[in-house]
Amino acid sequence: MPDRVLIVDDHTAFRRLAGRLLEEIGREVVGEAGTGKEALSESRRLKPDLVLLDIQLPDLDGFAVATTLTSEPQPPAVLLVSSRDAADYGPRLHGCGALGFITKADLSAESLRALLGA
Amino acid sequence: MTKVQRRLIQAVALAVVGLACLSEVFYINVLPNRLVWQHPLARYPPWAYVVVDIVPGSCFVLAGLIAWSLRPRNRVGLLMMGVGVGLLIPAVALSPPLATGIIGEIFLVTFGSVWAVVLIHLVRSFYVVVPLSGLLQWGLLVAHVFPLATAARVIPPACFVVGLGLVVRRWVLGGRARRRSLSPLFWPLVAFTIAFPLYAAIALAGLVSGRSLGSLLVVSPLLFVVALPLGFLIGLLRTGLDMSSVGDLVVRLSDGLAPDQLQPALARALHDPSLEVVYWLPTHAWFADLEGQRVDLPTADSERAASVLGDPAAPVAALLYDSSLVHEGQLVDTAAAAVNLALENARLQVELRAQLEEVRQSRARLVDAADSERRRVERDLHDGAQQQLVTLLLSLQLTKTEALKHRAPATAAMVEANIVALKKALAELRELARGIHPTILTQAGLVPAILALGERCPMRVDVTGDLGDGHLAPQLEAALYFVVAEAITNAVKHSKGRRICVAIGSGSGLATIEVADDGMGGADPSLGSGLRGLSDRVAAVGGRLVVTSDPGIGTSVRAEIPCG
Repeated sequence: MPDRVLIVDDHTAFRRLAGRLLEEIGREVVGEAGTGKEALSESRRLKPDLVLLDIQLPDLDGFAVATTLTSEPQPPAVLLVSSRDAADYGPRLHGCGALGFITKADLSAESLRALLGA
Repeated sequence: MTKVQRRLIQAVALAVVGLACLSEVFYINVLPNRLVWQHPLARYPPWAYVVVDIVPGSCFVLAGLIAWSLRPRNRVGLLMMGVGVGLLIPAVALSPPLATGIIGEIFLVTFGSVWAVVLIHLVRSFYVVVPLSGLLQWGLLVAHVFPLATAARVIPPACFVVGLGLVVRRWVLGGRARRRSLSPLFWPLVAFTIAFPLYAAIALAGLVSGRSLGSLLVVSPLLFVVALPLGFLIGLLRTGLDMSSVGDLVVRLSDGLAPDQLQPALARALHDPSLEVVYWLPTHAWFADLEGQRVDLPTADSERAASVLGDPAAPVAALLYDSSLVHEGQLVDTAAAAVNLALENARLQVELRAQLEEVRQSRARLVDAADSERRRVERDLHDGAQQQLVTLLLSLQLTKTEALKHRAPATAAMVEANIVALKKALAELRELARGIHPTILTQAGLVPAILALGERCPMRVDVTGDLGDGHLAPQLEAALYFVVAEAITNAVKHSKGRRICVAIGSGSGLATIEVADDGMGGADPSLGSGLRGLSDRVAAVGGRLVVTSDPGIGTSVRAEIPCG
């Protein structure tokens, strides 16, 4: 079960609320990042078990960050999130190495538990 | 020059031919023993003297007479006679008053090589576009100012070789029109250049001693020398023949010639495949080709030349052609005059095309601007309202979790009701944003975007085919996407069918998409503003939209967009 989580999103409010939801289901939020480049450096430094990764970031594309992270040695699990839904990304959601995708509107303690395990 | 003056010059030239012939006869019959050492062909039979001394010059004079009679305004004929007279000077120097004295020697030495200088003028006159190199200009100047230097027999051959080099260079570098123009002179000039040293080697250095064989060898290079005046004559006469091809052009014009056929017809008439017709656009103040694209006229030092037709202040068109045609100005002018009316007609069409092209580009810019605005609005919705609603939703999720923790199920249920309502609002907002601009189109391309449309459609949608090599330009993909989206929406709303087929294809520079349903058909495309707007959008990128909707068969919307 991935316990240590890195949250990547350029909106501070979302990072704060998502962190609280993850803590509700017993995860430890070890760090936050607001850009793709920060996500890569923080992930290498903190070695999280899970990265909650927004697709639309100000610098790098979330898919590119996911591909890089999951191709590194001892990669973290990557859960992609977006306020758009899966139909907006089509086949790009597959093949980037991510564990899965969830829209921000569907984020809840229950949905996270279902996705990540109890 | 008056006709009398012309006749006088012609008579003098003929008199020189006669005098040269008489001198040869005198030389052979009266002074065979005393002066035989003076002639370079002394060791050969007398007929060889006569042929070598008389035939080349006489041929030039006769060809010049014919050329001058046919083209009195063209100085080529006069210069040909000048070359001929120059070539006959050695023979004239053998005439009784000159043959035995120092005067004859001086006469021969002074004027013996004048023919070479006149020949250079002749070549230049025939091809006015042959530029004079600095060396040639100095050579000619010295040859004119110091006749005795000419007599050194070094400068004229040197000038001749330089001139020949220029002609050869233009032959090698020139196109078909230039080679055709040069051909009457080129081959005789090459032959002459080979023949002359051969003559000198055989005759003057005495390489061949046998009388019969030697005489034959001495005389044979003359055949090539004779080809030179004939070449000039053929070149002049061909201009006359070319005029008849302009006559053919006039006949074709009377049969009706489309504007796009004018250029090939003129190219054929003027024997220049590289010929271009460009049209004056008064609204732009520049020339354009048939497609309405701007064309600049060649500069003066270019290998191309231009003839502007019509009033220079308000031209109709211009012909751009190989500069070798410059000396056939009369031919070009005649052909241009023949097609003047057709050119004016074509010019109006080009002007219309240029305006249409401008309208098309303007329409494409409008569509591009609208697309950019759609993308911006979609991004603003996503980054602004959507993010705030998502944040609110997460807050409510946390509130619900807290309520459940504190055993307040009624509060949790109220919050859950708000969460459901907010999720619905978010879904509607997403749908609105997607309608404004589909993110998947920029994220994944046209085919995945169409597949996503099919997945959301309440009717069954089968998508077949692909775009081959991959993506099209964004504006083309957007046009095709909105065609499919509108056609699917219409099919769902009106067709009462069960299935929609989307066929995607590309090839021969076209991207095609056809959306067909199995509904009741009978739709009138002119009634729907959506399809009209799509038709405009497709036309803005150079494509076309075809809607067929036969009753009972279903409706088909087909878009074709050039993508090559």
